Amino acid sequence: MFRKLYFLFGVLVLGTVAFAQYRGWSLDSMNELKHVPKSVRDNPGSYRSVYSSYHHYTGGK
Amino acid sequence: MSFGSPPLQPPNRPVVKALNCPQCGAAITLRALGRSVSVVCDSCHAILDANDPHLQVLQKFEEITSSDRPLIRLGSRGKIRGAEFEVVGFQRRSLEADGIRYHWHEYVLFNPYKGFRYLTEFQGHWNDLAICKEQPIVDPRISTPLGANYLGENYEHFQTADAETEFVLGEFPWEVRVGEQARISDYIHPPRVLSKEKTGGEITWSIGEYIQGRDIWNSFRLPGDPPEAVGVYENQPSPVGANVKAIWIAFGVFALGLLVLVVGFDTTAKRQSVFQQGYEVSPGPQVGEPSFVTDTFELSGRTSNVEVTTYARVTNNWIYLNYALINQDTGQAWDFGREVSYYYGYDSDGSWSEGSQRDTVIVPTVPPGRYYLRIEPEVDALHPRIGYSVGVTRDVPVAGFYGIGFLALLIPPVLLTWRSMSFERSRWSESDHPPAPIFNTGSD
Repeated sequence: MFRKLYFLFGVLVLGTVAFAQYRGWSLDSMNELKHVPKSVRDNPGSYRSVYSSYHHYTGGK
Repeated sequence: MSFGSPPLQPPNRPVVKALNCPQCGAAITLRALGRSVSVVCDSCHAILDANDPHLQVLQKFEEITSSDRPLIRLGSRGKIRGAEFEVVGFQRRSLEADGIRYHWHEYVLFNPYKGFRYLTEFQGHWNDLAICKEQPIVDPRISTPLGANYLGENYEHFQTADAETEFVLGEFPWEVRVGEQARISDYIHPPRVLSKEKTGGEITWSIGEYIQGRDIWNSFRLPGDPPEAVGVYENQPSPVGANVKAIWIAFGVFALGLLVLVVGFDTTAKRQSVFQQGYEVSPGPQVGEPSFVTDTFELSGRTSNVEVTTYARVTNNWIYLNYALINQDTGQAWDFGREVSYYYGYDSDGSWSEGSQRDTVIVPTVPPGRYYLRIEPEVDALHPRIGYSVGVTRDVPVAGFYGIGFLALLIPPVLLTWRSMSFERSRWSESDHPPAPIFNTGSD
């Protein structure tokens, strides 16, 4: 029973990895928007990124 | 049909004879007449010579408080390994280990064709035993060190202890005595156990196999439930032991499959560079709108990912870039921010560095089409001139998925192995050869 479950689990893992690679999944986090106005092309300032005003690292060690 | 059983005729019923106890006069039933050597009176518990027509008293039973009730009633019948056996005797024995006295029960079973065999029960753990047909070999050159070999199978020594018979009931194929001492050595090869019993100058070897209490209850059609098994018994089969090797083999096969995926996707990935451009942020305070858009570029082929690479010549400085990858025709966009920072220096520990001048990010599942990037750089107020370049590559393999897949495949075998090892540690902790503690809690 356990062997069958592991077999199914392994097939699922390999299948998911293969599907992820094929479809081009990513591990990075980002925000997807559906309809950005075409005016952004002419006026980039009209678009405001949700990531702007990010608190930056300001020094080394 | 069993090849070992006499065919085409019903088995004879065992010869039963009714007699009276010479000690108390109670009726005594001999169920294995001619095969039993001693019989115990149910009433006064006197041990009688079953071979004597007058049932001579061999031992009077005086410890009236030391009574016990068998879980399987004498006279009960059940099938063991395809043959019907009748419970004819019962005894309670004990041994002392580490100052603790452990008790167990033994049931004598009889079949007129098969002879005697035994069931033992200790804290809900049952074993089905029979006398060995061959003499086991106790020789370190043949068996494992301190072990034994029986019919070509090696058994590991588990425990040697002195056992005492405390209570008897029914019939026995030997001259049983309450208070009888025996030195017992158990050798195990789960689910089997090889048991050596030395009484006086006589040595008896028996071979047993672990059996579930529920199977005995079903076989003898006993009411209720069998006593719950406590702890791990010496020859109890590991619930996961047989799976450990198989699951590691399966893991190896899956890891190989993962390697095939790595090679396959690595060789077939397009890695098509579709955009590359350099930019610069001037020093001093920013004037006007900092954001801008790139030229459009074509993402072709099937839906796949896009890698955006930023290389910035930052030294003890940083630059933050707000990106938006925008489909010129549909307006679909992916919004993300990336920081590129690189610091280095020297301190009392020597040289150090932190960060990198290069950053990559993968934008997932981007359909084909014409795209452009909106870029909005942010820099420190007192920044120097910072040059940076942005590159876009279509269809790149993501190594992280292989790592996650490998770890996911690894977890079940590791857990199973750990569980199997825990089980074996529990088993051997009760033996004469306990495993060394994993964590030494003693102080030096």
